[in-house]
Amino acid sequence: MLILDRLVHRLGRLFRRRRAEAEMAEEMRFHLEQRAADYAADGLGSDEARLAAQRRFGNLGSLQEQSREAWGWGAWERAWKDVLLAFRHLQRSPGFSLLAIVTLGLGIGANTAMFSVLNTVMLRPLPYANPAELDHLVRSTPQDPEGGVSPADFLAFQRDAAAGYGEVAAYVPADVSLSEPGEAAELVNAVRVSANLFTLLGIPPAQGRAFVSGDDQPGQDRVVVLSERTWKHRFGARPDIVGTLIRVDGIPHEIIGVLPGAFNDWRHLGWVDLFRPLGLSPEHAADRRSTQVRLVGRRAAGLSPAESAAAVARFGEHQAAEFTELHAHSSWRALPMEETVVSNNGSDTLMMLIGLSAFVLLIACSNLANLLLARTLGRAREFAVRSALGASRSQLLRPLLAESLLLSLAGGAFALILAAWATDWLSVRTTGDNGERLTFSLDPAVLGWAFGASLVTAVVFGLAPALFALRLDLNHAQKSGGRGTTGGRGHRHFRSLLIVGQFALALVLLSGAALFVRGLDHLNQRRSGWSSDQLVSGSLLLPAGTYADAESISAFQRRVLERLSVLPGVASASLASFLPYFNWPDTRRFLIAGQAPMESGKEPAAVVNGISPRYFETVGTRLIAGRDFSPQDSLDSPRVFIINETMAHALFGEANPIGRRLSEAGDHAPVWGEIVGVVGNVVSTLPDSTPVASQLYHPMAQQPRARFEIAVRAAVRSPEALISLVRSAMTELDPDLPVRRLKSADAIIHRANYQLGVLRDMLVSFALLGLGLASLGIYGVIARTTALRTEEFAIRLALGATGRDILRLVLRSGVTLALVGSTLGLVGALAVSRLLIAGFPGIPFQQAPVLLGATLVLFGIALFASWLPARRASRIHAVAALRGD
Amino acid sequence: MANKCDLLQGTLDMLVLRVLSRGELHGWGITQKLEQLSQKALQVDEGSLYPSLYRMEDKGWIKAEWKLTENNRRAKYYTLTRTGRKQLETEQAAWDRMTAIIAQVMQSA
Repeated sequence: MLILDRLVHRLGRLFRRRRAEAEMAEEMRFHLEQRAADYAADGLGSDEARLAAQRRFGNLGSLQEQSREAWGWGAWERAWKDVLLAFRHLQRSPGFSLLAIVTLGLGIGANTAMFSVLNTVMLRPLPYANPAELDHLVRSTPQDPEGGVSPADFLAFQRDAAAGYGEVAAYVPADVSLSEPGEAAELVNAVRVSANLFTLLGIPPAQGRAFVSGDDQPGQDRVVVLSERTWKHRFGARPDIVGTLIRVDGIPHEIIGVLPGAFNDWRHLGWVDLFRPLGLSPEHAADRRSTQVRLVGRRAAGLSPAESAAAVARFGEHQAAEFTELHAHSSWRALPMEETVVSNNGSDTLMMLIGLSAFVLLIACSNLANLLLARTLGRAREFAVRSALGASRSQLLRPLLAESLLLSLAGGAFALILAAWATDWLSVRTTGDNGERLTFSLDPAVLGWAFGASLVTAVVFGLAPALFALRLDLNHAQKSGGRGTTGGRGHRHFRSLLIVGQFALALVLLSGAALFVRGLDHLNQRRSGWSSDQLVSGSLLLPAGTYADAESISAFQRRVLERLSVLPGVASASLASFLPYFNWPDTRRFLIAGQAPMESGKEPAAVVNGISPRYFETVGTRLIAGRDFSPQDSLDSPRVFIINETMAHALFGEANPIGRRLSEAGDHAPVWGEIVGVVGNVVSTLPDSTPVASQLYHPMAQQPRARFEIAVRAAVRSPEALISLVRSAMTELDPDLPVRRLKSADAIIHRANYQLGVLRDMLVSFALLGLGLASLGIYGVIARTTALRTEEFAIRLALGATGRDILRLVLRSGVTLALVGSTLGLVGALAVSRLLIAGFPGIPFQQAPVLLGATLVLFGIALFASWLPARRASRIHAVAALRGD
Repeated sequence: MANKCDLLQGTLDMLVLRVLSRGELHGWGITQKLEQLSQKALQVDEGSLYPSLYRMEDKGWIKAEWKLTENNRRAKYYTLTRTGRKQLETEQAAWDRMTAIIAQVMQSA
C-alpha cells in the first residue's frame, strides 16, 4: 500500500510539476524573509539582512536541485531527455531512420504474421468445455493410422468400454442436398452425430434444443441442428427459425436448434453446415465392416490420460480377439484432442514457417545492427569528445539505446500494420469453396509477440553495436580525425560476420522457396496415365429419398450419360466413383480363381473405382489389352473387371490376364467376375499419394453408388464453355439435384493443392524479403566501408595504382564475404531441403539444380552490390580526394 | 562559537521528526525550534532542511498542508504521519543504543 501511495504521490507531483516548483520557491522565500526579518530586528540594514539570511540558508540552486531529487523525478527526467535527444537525432537523418524502420517492420511483420497463424491454428484453445479431457478414439490400421470405426464397434464400445473410459460420442460426415421447390438445390456439409455429441463437447445450442436420445432412433430422426453460419447465410438469420421445416435430400426435416458461432471450429469437425442424428437402422447398427464412424470421447473424471488410453487399447485387443478376420491388423488408440487439432505434418510446416520468418527477422536485425554500427562509428569523434569532457560510459550508451528503442518500436508498429495486411491476404487466400474463412485476429498474444520482438531486437541488435563501437579507443578516434572511421579490426570482423550471416540465411530462404516452387509446379503438372486437357467434371450425390435403390440410381445414371454425350461440343462423357486427380479411398482385397486362397487379410489388395463405359476415353487413359466396359455390362449380366498394368503384373506375371477371374475377399461366398481388359497406370496429383499400386475398375452399373462424378471431355471448345451447358443439362434432368465442384479439371486440381500454393506464396515472400534485405545489407556495408576508405584509395592511386586495381580490391572483399556466406548457407539449405523432403514426401524436389541455381543468383546479387561502390571507388580523383577533407 | 558543532550525518531527519512530534510546524518554525532546543549550538545550512523535508514527505513519514500563519501569511505546515511516528521510535531506539555503546566504549577503554 505504502509503495502504491508513494507512486500516486509522485505521479501527482509529476503532473503538477509547475505548481510543486512554485510551492518550493515560495516556501524557501518565506524562510529567507523570516530570517532576514530576524536579522533586521537585530539592527542590520535590509540589504545586509537579506544577504546574511542567504548565507545562512546555503546555496539556493543546489538545495533546490537536491529537493527535486527527493521528488524522485531524476531517473524519469533523464530517460525522457534521452528519448527526446534520440528523437531529434533520428529526425536529423530521416533517410537512415526510414530505412531502419522499414527494414525492421518487414522483419518483425513477417514474424508476427506467422505467429498470428500459429496462434490461430495451434495455440488458441478449442471451443469446447474442458478440452483437455477430450480424446479422439481411432482405430489404427497399416493403411490408416487414424482411421474410423464401424457402427457396431461404436455401439460395442459404448456398451463395454465406456465404464473404463468415460463418455463417447460418434459422428459420420455425410453431406446432404438442401432444396426448396423453385430454388436451386445446394449440397451442404453435413454430419450425422450421436445424440450426446453436443452435451459431451459441452456446447449447448444458442437457440432451440440439442438432440435428445429419442432423436437418434430411425424414423424419429427427421430433425436437424444448424450451424450459425448456415442460419445466417442461408436463412438470413431469421429469428423464428426453430420449428421451420426444410427439405433435406428431398425429405422434410424440422430445424430444432442453432449452434453458437464459436462451435464452428474448423480444427475439429470442419466447417459443418448442418447436423443430423446418427439414426442407426438395425442393419447399420450390425455393420462391422465400414469404417466411417468417428469417435470423440471425454475421459471420466479422475482417470489419467494413460489409464483411459489403456482402457481403449484393451477394447481394441478384445475386438481383435473376437473378430480376427476384421481386426487382425488393427489397434485402438486414444489421441488427446488438443494434440491432434493440427496434424503432425501441419505443425512441422508451421514450425518451419516460423523458423524461416525468424530468418527474415534475423536478416533485418543484422541490417539494423550494421546501420547502427556504421552510424555509431561515424560519430566516434563526438563520443571521444564527450568522453573526454567526462561523460560516463552509461551516459554515452543511454542515448544510443534510446535511439534503437525508438527505431524498433516504430518498426514494431509498422510491422503490426504489415502483419494485419498479410494475415488478411492469407485469410482471403485460404477461403474455402463454401466461403469458410479463417480469421486471424490481432489479439493480445500477437501484440505481445510483436512488442517483445521489437524490444529484443532493440536491446540485442541496438546495444551490441553500441557496446562494440565504444570499445573503440576513443583517444585514437579523436586524433585520427577524418570523417569518422572504419573501425579497428574487431569491427571489421563483426561486420563481416553480420554480412556472412545474412548471406547464409538468405541462401537458405531462397533455396527453400525455389525448391518448393519447382516441386509444386511439377506436382500441379503431373498427369501420369491420364490427361486433364479439355476435361470438365462435377460431383453428384443422389438423395436417398428420391433414388432409393440400385435400379433407380442406375436408371438416372443412364439418363445422365445419354444427355451429356449429345451436348454440343462434347467429345465423350462418362461417370466414375472417383477421378484420377485424387487418390481413390476404396481399398479392397481379392481372391484369384484357380489359386489356393491366402491367409485372411493377406490377399492382394487394390484400390477400386466404379466407372461407366467410355471413361478411359474421357480421362485419356490407355486401354492396353482387351475391351472397355459396354452398356451391356449391367446389374443382370455377369460381373466384369478391368485392371491396370501393375495389378496384371503382380497377379499374373507375364501370363495373359484377360479371361482370368477375380472375386472380392470377405466373409461371404466368392462372387467371381472376369477380367476383360488391362489399362495403363494412373497417378494422382496429390502430394501425399502413397497409392496402392494395383488399380481395379468395375462397371458402375454393377455396383451403383449414390455418390459419383460426372466427367466430360470437350471436343474443340475450351472446357470452361462446357460448364454452363452441363449445368443446365443436369438441371433439366433433376432440378432438385445440385452439382458440386463443376469446374475444369485443372481448376479442381489447383484448388485441391491450394494449401500448398499458399505455402509456396509464403515461402516466396520470405525469400524475396530476405533476399531484398540481404542485398541491401551487403550493398550498404560495402558502400560505406568503401566511402570511408576514400583517402586510402586516393593514396593508392597517387602511388600508381590503376582504377582496375581499386575495382578488384573492393570486389574481392565482397566476393570473399559471399563465398564464406554461401558455404555456410548451403549447409543450412541442405538441412531445410531435408525438412521439406521429409514433410512433403510426395513432392518431387530437385535438390541439386535448385541449390546450385539459388547460390548463383545470390552470388550474382553480391557481386552487383559490391560492383556499384567498387566502380565509384575506382573513379576517385586522387588529388581532389586528398585535399577534400 | 566554540561550543557549536556540526550535525552528525543522518541525524537531521530524526531531529526534524522529533520536533514535529510535538505538533505541526512550517519549515521556518522547525528551524526556530531546533535553534531554540539546541540553544543555537547546531551548525547547519538552514536550507538543507528542505531536501530532508521533501525526502521524508516522499517516504510518507510526514505530510504537508498549506495554511495561514498567525500573521496571515501562507506557509506549508508539516505534520507527522503514523509511519513517521513509528520511524521516529525506531530511530530514537537506534540512537539510544548507539550512544550507549559509544559511551560504554569511551568509558571502559
